[in-house]
Amino acid sequence: MGDIGSLIDGFGVALQPTYLLYALIGVTLGTAVGVLPGIGPAMTVALLLPLTYTLEPTAAFIMFAGIYYGGMYGGSTTSILLNTPGESSSIITAIEGNKMARSGRGAAALATAAIGSFVAGTIATLGLTLVAPTLADFAVQLGPPDYVALTVVALLTVSALLGSSVSRGLASLSIGLLLGLVGTDSLTGQQRFTFGLPVLADGIDVVTFAVGLFAVGEALWVASRFRHGPVETIPIGGRWMTRADFHRSWRPWLRGTALGFPIGAMPAGGAEIPTFLSYAVEKKLSPHKEEFGKGAIEGVAGPEAANNAAAAGVLVPLLTLGLPTSATAAVLIAAFQSYGIQPGPLLFENEGNLVWALIASLYIGNVLLLVLNLPLVGLWVRLLKIPRPYLYAGILLFAALGGYALNGVRTDLWVLLGIGVLGYVMRRFGYPIGPAVIGLILGPIAEEQLRRTLAISQGDPSALVSSPFAATVYVLLAIGTVVTLLVRRRAKRLVEEIVTPVSGPTA
Amino acid sequence: MSVSTDEASGTAARTAVPELLVAAGVIALGLFTIVDAHGITIPLSSNVVGPRVFPYAVGVALIVAGAGVVLSVVRGEPAHPEAGEDVDVDAPTDWTTLAKVIAGLALHIAVVDRLGWALAGAVLFTVVAWALGAQLVRAAAVGVVLGFTLQIMFVSGLGVTLPAGIFEGVSLLGG
Repeated sequence: MGDIGSLIDGFGVALQPTYLLYALIGVTLGTAVGVLPGIGPAMTVALLLPLTYTLEPTAAFIMFAGIYYGGMYGGSTTSILLNTPGESSSIITAIEGNKMARSGRGAAALATAAIGSFVAGTIATLGLTLVAPTLADFAVQLGPPDYVALTVVALLTVSALLGSSVSRGLASLSIGLLLGLVGTDSLTGQQRFTFGLPVLADGIDVVTFAVGLFAVGEALWVASRFRHGPVETIPIGGRWMTRADFHRSWRPWLRGTALGFPIGAMPAGGAEIPTFLSYAVEKKLSPHKEEFGKGAIEGVAGPEAANNAAAAGVLVPLLTLGLPTSATAAVLIAAFQSYGIQPGPLLFENEGNLVWALIASLYIGNVLLLVLNLPLVGLWVRLLKIPRPYLYAGILLFAALGGYALNGVRTDLWVLLGIGVLGYVMRRFGYPIGPAVIGLILGPIAEEQLRRTLAISQGDPSALVSSPFAATVYVLLAIGTVVTLLVRRRAKRLVEEIVTPVSGPTA
Repeated sequence: MSVSTDEASGTAARTAVPELLVAAGVIALGLFTIVDAHGITIPLSSNVVGPRVFPYAVGVALIVAGAGVVLSVVRGEPAHPEAGEDVDVDAPTDWTTLAKVIAGLALHIAVVDRLGWALAGAVLFTVVAWALGAQLVRAAAVGVVLGFTLQIMFVSGLGVTLPAGIFEGVSLLGG
């Protein structure tokens, strides 16, 4: 029951007018930037980080919470009206939602996405509230070998899941791991891969890395293949959600939440799989199967709820274990670290007030987002029409601002540009970006825990599997890999069926 | 699977060489990682697993991944460049625009301390917007307004440090 008390205290903090204002600024900016085409949630958080550099931690984290959820909401608006998924977990929303918008039911699609996001976000935040403290209590007992096991799981699954080619995912992950090695070794003080350059001695900053890969890389990629001509947006048409729409939506919302939160909370989860699963489930259960692929409201409601529930689920391993399982989570970890706060099992003990204020503000942010999104969606839509040259110039301007403001050092900007070129090459040749960002954050954690384990065992590698927890994790990993490969194959086939309407009896 | 074989092999032939080069680059990076890791000093105090082990592992992972990509390219599975609303995946690379944008960034970095953030930001914005097709004069006007607005907002409003450059002494810009 102590947790309920802490949560109420958290609300006490988050509901103070100043913090409420930060939450409002956070959700507004998060939605506004998230709506911009080509900007996914990870880039939204990375680009808006500079705003919080000088804030005190509580205000900063309340604002982050708003930006994080706001970015998710904004992304769904873009996918429905532009058919441009900012990230893989919005693909499904884009498919059905965009079809709905094209057939003049944009208003209903946006509404079911917004309300579904609210329902899922709220239930999943409740789940986070209940699960996280218990898990943190348990995680305190985990030793270095257990962390090695968890990071192995997170690293492998992330590289395999994000993107269509496993070897390219692994390459991306390894590049992130390598760049995470750059700097001064924390255990021995030796310089590694710094080429004697002082700018590299402290390592590559995660924020610089994320902004470089996402923002600069994206801008360069767009510049190299710029689609000229006017921007086509679909006007929001049709009636708002009808009773029938509600009737068809509420079960998918709940089912999407039930899939999204637990999968998102697993160290191997992420948000992509639950959206695919949700879509498959809704297609199977719907009495309107024939509408799928042509704009079925269940196909928006379910996956969108799953996506948002997973976003809250991702916060579970992030806050309790310090493990980021999505690119956005990796950027959030960097934000924590810039305040000298290490997410992990001790977070709830050491920074209890901060965490509970953060969780409380997630509830508040969800309400604010619903209020902002239902009536104001027309305003966000106007952002979609920003002329593209100005949009990408603005993205680069903000990236440069963030790169400079981080340490106030000009040379950081050269690093930013270099990483941006890397991001361009990766996009051009189909290497997913997410694993690199996660590798950069997880690599140092994995290495430190691995070396600690082996130092304690005096080099005996069996120590890595001798703890029951670690052994269990490896067994689950083996099973999980097989299962996800199967699920993945199905999900992939599903997407192909929808994206390329093959003539024939396949559907 | 859904793409017909003719199309697939045609695309593959067109893109295979650069793709293989990039994959070879990944392998080379792995080799470099292992070689360079060999040069990391291991202090005497270091116990069993020193600062070289993890880099070795990363090097091996890079080589394996690169080889995997080579294999898939040879087998005729082309890469899927990232799609996007403003990206024309089928278009050839527009090197001129790309070079202009990179030059805009480089120019920004070169002058940011001397001119101050606001003007350097305006330069960056103008070059990039112009490179992507905006009118030069309009882009410059928007860029100057944005540059100064952002600097004032961040320096005076949020207390972030940005260089004042030639506006040294103007307190609103942090000089």
